[in-house]
Amino acid sequence: MYLCRPNSTPDEMLFNSIEFLIFFPLVTLLFYLLPHKHRWLLLLAASCFFYMWFIPKYILILLITILIDYSAGILIEKWEEDKTRKKACLVVSIVSTCLVLFIFKYLNFCSANLVALAQHFGWAHPQKILDIALPIGLSFHTFQSLSYVIEVYRGNQKAERHFGYYALYVMFYPQLVTGPIERPQNLLRQLHEHKELQYDNIANGLRLILFGLFLKMVVADNLGAYVDKIYADPFQYSSGDILLGMLFYSFQIYGDFFGYSTIALGCALTMGYSLMDNFKTPYLSGSIQEFWRRWHISLSTWFRDYLYIPLGGNRVSVPRWGLNTLIVFTVCGIWHGANWTFMIWGFTYGVLLIIERGLRNIHLFDKIENRSGRLVIKICNIAKTFVIVTLLWSVFRATSFGNLHDLFAALFHNGMLPSKLHVQPVAWAALALFIVFDLLIRDSRFDVWCGRQRPAVRWCVYAFLIFAVIALSSVEQIPFIYFQF
Amino acid sequence: MTDSIKHTIKKISLKLLVLTGVLVGLDLLYYYTLYPQDIERNCSLMEISQRAKAGVDMVYLGESSNFSCAKSDTDRRSISTIIGESLPAHQVGDLSKAACHASIYYDILRNIPRQNDVKTAIVTVNMRSFTAEWIYSDLETALRKEQIMMKKAPALYKRLLLAFKAYPVWTEEERSAIIRKGFKKQTFSLPHPFPYRNANEWDHGVGGSYTLYNGMQPSADSLALACHHIKHFACELDNKNPRIKDLDNIVRLCKKRGWQPVFNILAENVDQIDSLCGPDLLYLLERNVQYVTDRYEAMGVIVVNNLHAVRDNDFFDRDFPTEHYSQTGRKAIADNVVKKIATLR
Repeated sequence: MYLCRPNSTPDEMLFNSIEFLIFFPLVTLLFYLLPHKHRWLLLLAASCFFYMWFIPKYILILLITILIDYSAGILIEKWEEDKTRKKACLVVSIVSTCLVLFIFKYLNFCSANLVALAQHFGWAHPQKILDIALPIGLSFHTFQSLSYVIEVYRGNQKAERHFGYYALYVMFYPQLVTGPIERPQNLLRQLHEHKELQYDNIANGLRLILFGLFLKMVVADNLGAYVDKIYADPFQYSSGDILLGMLFYSFQIYGDFFGYSTIALGCALTMGYSLMDNFKTPYLSGSIQEFWRRWHISLSTWFRDYLYIPLGGNRVSVPRWGLNTLIVFTVCGIWHGANWTFMIWGFTYGVLLIIERGLRNIHLFDKIENRSGRLVIKICNIAKTFVIVTLLWSVFRATSFGNLHDLFAALFHNGMLPSKLHVQPVAWAALALFIVFDLLIRDSRFDVWCGRQRPAVRWCVYAFLIFAVIALSSVEQIPFIYFQF
Repeated sequence: MTDSIKHTIKKISLKLLVLTGVLVGLDLLYYYTLYPQDIERNCSLMEISQRAKAGVDMVYLGESSNFSCAKSDTDRRSISTIIGESLPAHQVGDLSKAACHASIYYDILRNIPRQNDVKTAIVTVNMRSFTAEWIYSDLETALRKEQIMMKKAPALYKRLLLAFKAYPVWTEEERSAIIRKGFKKQTFSLPHPFPYRNANEWDHGVGGSYTLYNGMQPSADSLALACHHIKHFACELDNKNPRIKDLDNIVRLCKKRGWQPVFNILAENVDQIDSLCGPDLLYLLERNVQYVTDRYEAMGVIVVNNLHAVRDNDFFDRDFPTEHYSQTGRKAIADNVVKKIATLR
């Protein structure tokens, strides 16, 4: 069995890897064996180990941002009365933290675009590419750090004096790589609390982990194999195949990210820590606005609290509100990755929200609602939102505009081609089960839903999920989609 | 420990017991439903083991050297076929698969059905398989993945290892870095002063100076080939080498199951090695072959030394060191194996 990794192989410790299957129970066991005063040290060491599994030296980048924001927090609190110094401290902290993000994530993108622009105007300028890998979870822990500094500045959070606890708040391994992006008021506070071994926490945590593994390994990975084929060479496939590929991607990305977040929640919960929910049946949203309230909640609320509201929120004129919305969603798009496709994806959501708000004033649907009943309207709205979201996922998934163009060109030209996708029954079954589970759980959470069932039903569900995760999962290595961000 | 914690531990232990029962049930369910399908899909090696069916008294375990043919070959028989035809009293089973090595051969042999007629196991020993380039080859992931399903373990556990990717998965970049580290560990000593201590230094020395051992300025292709030979053969074998451990396991397994092991050391292009890299590399290669011969003859293995058996013009891959022989080469190897087996019987 391959357990001893060769030196310096820059791969992540995935939640669905054999290494994590050993790491997680070991850390949890040690956590409960240690007295409370030493637990932060164990969790910090485990988080460092988890992070350093990728590229060990990158821990220094994290350490620098942690040091900056830790110091900034203390200074902001110290200069409570001196508004200028306090603000300067906040600005320095935000700029330096964002600078790290910019260098690693956006520098090459900006450089490439500037060179292209220069060439457009006939200026020969060689492009310099920074040959560096993006540190895993950089966008996530950058935002988490920023949220701490801003909250201290706003006076909603006391500055953390214990460096170890602050470092742990940024590095807490379950949510270090792809969130949820926590707020200090929730996580930092809990890290100080004494956590007793409680059966409910262990049971609920393990339930969440099992369900998360099912979403990732059975749903997302089985569907992902077909999606990859279609996006790699769209012209090989019929229009029906491409539509199916788009549909599969909608569920792949949901299963993948929801799966990861659920495992993160479960890992934290086994130690008694409660992280925020990241998803609430987003594909049952009746509007784009509702979708963003249910999808990647920790990110959308981050943007709401730290960008949208400071820009004026709803309390501004309609044109200004429109502009703010476009800014917020374009930034949200570019947060996902240094590519024009992400920017366009985010910008389009901004435009759609503006249109949606405009249409809200037309009360045409009120009458129809009275006549046809709430349910039909609701289903129509859900279907409409899902179609829009699915179409926009294709922009998100495309590797470039060229790839996106090929996808749509093939969609409109390959109508007569016979289907080549040959979807295995296991993929259909996974998709159907995912939808069933999503409908069953709805606005609740899997662990809560499970807890409400009779023991026999509960154990049948466990047995089924264990069997599915082991026997029906994809044997291909498909990394978590959000790891790249 | 408080009562509440004691109660929790008791509750967890009870649930773990139930979970164990569930897992046993699921293992049975998996074994009788999806396991055969998974073996078929993810483990072609298992099918190879099953080729040792009733009547087969001699098995030949090889890689691509067994069946690769030059375009000009009129005789396209594999080495194992020639051996089989030269020993009409025996029935030879071909258990070959491209890129295999001793670790895989061990699993193939181990999975030969208990009821078998095998008396002799001829195992190919490829001298390149001891070094980093092969140990971390890009074909290794697929082989190691297949190996999981060949383990002696409950079916559901094996599928779990497969699902949780308990095998090396490397990107091309990662693999290159690991191989480069492996070259640095390929240390050796020569009986006279030598400027390089390991394969990595030697490779860089020759590649960087653009000069062969005799001071000649080679073409780019020849230089690349010289460097390939250095990386593949510049090492000093000892019992820490993973392939040596695998060969030891094969010997133990053969003894346990009453089979006579025959190690067939494949021919390398010694003419090319000599002309491009000089006598030092050839010396290391010969010394390693001697190490394998001495070690395993002492354990009762019949070792066939084919190192010099094939001449340069019978290797048909010209830009990379391989053991792909033309018909003359395959015949020479097979004849040597047959001769050795015949002498001892």
